Amino acid sequence: MVIPWVGIPLASILKKFDPNSKAKYVNFKTLHDPSRMPGQKRRILNWPYEEGLTIAEAMHPLSLMAVGVYGYELPNQNGAPMRLVVPWKYGFKSIKAIAEINFTSRRPRSSWEQAISSEYGFYANVNPEVAHPRWSQARERVIGAGVFAGKKPTEMFNGYGDEVASLYAGLDLRKNY
Amino acid sequence: MKPGSTAFYRLTKPVVFLLALAPLAILLLRAFELAGFGLGANPIEELLHVLGRWGLKFLLLTLAITPIRRWAGWNWLLRFRRMLGLFSFFYIFLHFTVYAVLDQGLNMAVIIEDVIKRPYITLGVTGFLLLIPLAITSTKGMMRRLGRRWQKLHRLVYLAAIVGIWHFYWQVKLDTLDATFYAAILLALLGSRIYYRR
Repeated sequence: MVIPWVGIPLASILKKFDPNSKAKYVNFKTLHDPSRMPGQKRRILNWPYEEGLTIAEAMHPLSLMAVGVYGYELPNQNGAPMRLVVPWKYGFKSIKAIAEINFTSRRPRSSWEQAISSEYGFYANVNPEVAHPRWSQARERVIGAGVFAGKKPTEMFNGYGDEVASLYAGLDLRKNY
Repeated sequence: MKPGSTAFYRLTKPVVFLLALAPLAILLLRAFELAGFGLGANPIEELLHVLGRWGLKFLLLTLAITPIRRWAGWNWLLRFRRMLGLFSFFYIFLHFTVYAVLDQGLNMAVIIEDVIKRPYITLGVTGFLLLIPLAITSTKGMMRRLGRRWQKLHRLVYLAAIVGIWHFYWQVKLDTLDATFYAAILLALLGSRIYYRR
């Protein structure tokens, strides 16, 4: 991870609610308040912003509920008061300004999936071999590296393959992008 | 001093020239993080977006000269058209250069793959290539040498504008409002030409 998030494992929060065996997925919703979040005034996505994880992903020790960054409280634009950080997935999975969390038996449809399911899937695991339909994701530039830094090859699962690949055993990651 | 006079042109030309360079000056401040400016979390993407938009804005301004001249009767506007067209080329050239050098590090294999496999990049590169002969033949000497063919050749600008704004539209992730706005202006400018032809 490049960014020093401050937070606690998501699992430690979820376990307090004793999810039963029907809790196959976890669904998150962002605060919907166009007066304080003016970007929500136009219906670009189906507000409130929604994201989801499988219960196994949500309980994984790498899934973080962040409340700060670089040693400070989260700035509003970075998702205050608390946001998800799922480091092996593309950024849009790490939902910000969380206002609601639900356990569900059915797979949630995230906002980007609702908008363009051909381009943004439920899993959104970092995968250099599966290109977004309109751009390659095989190379990336490290955040904060500046204008003159080159790109480096993207790592499978953003470099967390040893920790998380087992979550997707037997799953066709090309289909389940 | 009348707008059509040479004195007026001599005075306004450097002003327009400097104004057209202002977006680049601000972008340089942002790129080198001077005077409190910055480019945000994804600096290359921001550079690309700003340069591309200014390229298209100058292209639309260039295409607006003739309709405004006809509508308002300001024939003197014509004297600024070449400069605006060249600024469009300048910003689009920088846009392409940032893509090729800073974004892809001149990795030819990656660039070629992009151009072949990503339709919005195919369109963008096509638009840029279409503008090159127009920039080269923009001098007085070239105009004289090409004669009637000059005008025919420079009709390519319509195609370049369509392809360029299409490139913008296809690149957008979801919120196509801005690109639609550019397309609407282009449609109005091309429509006025068809209207005046009748």
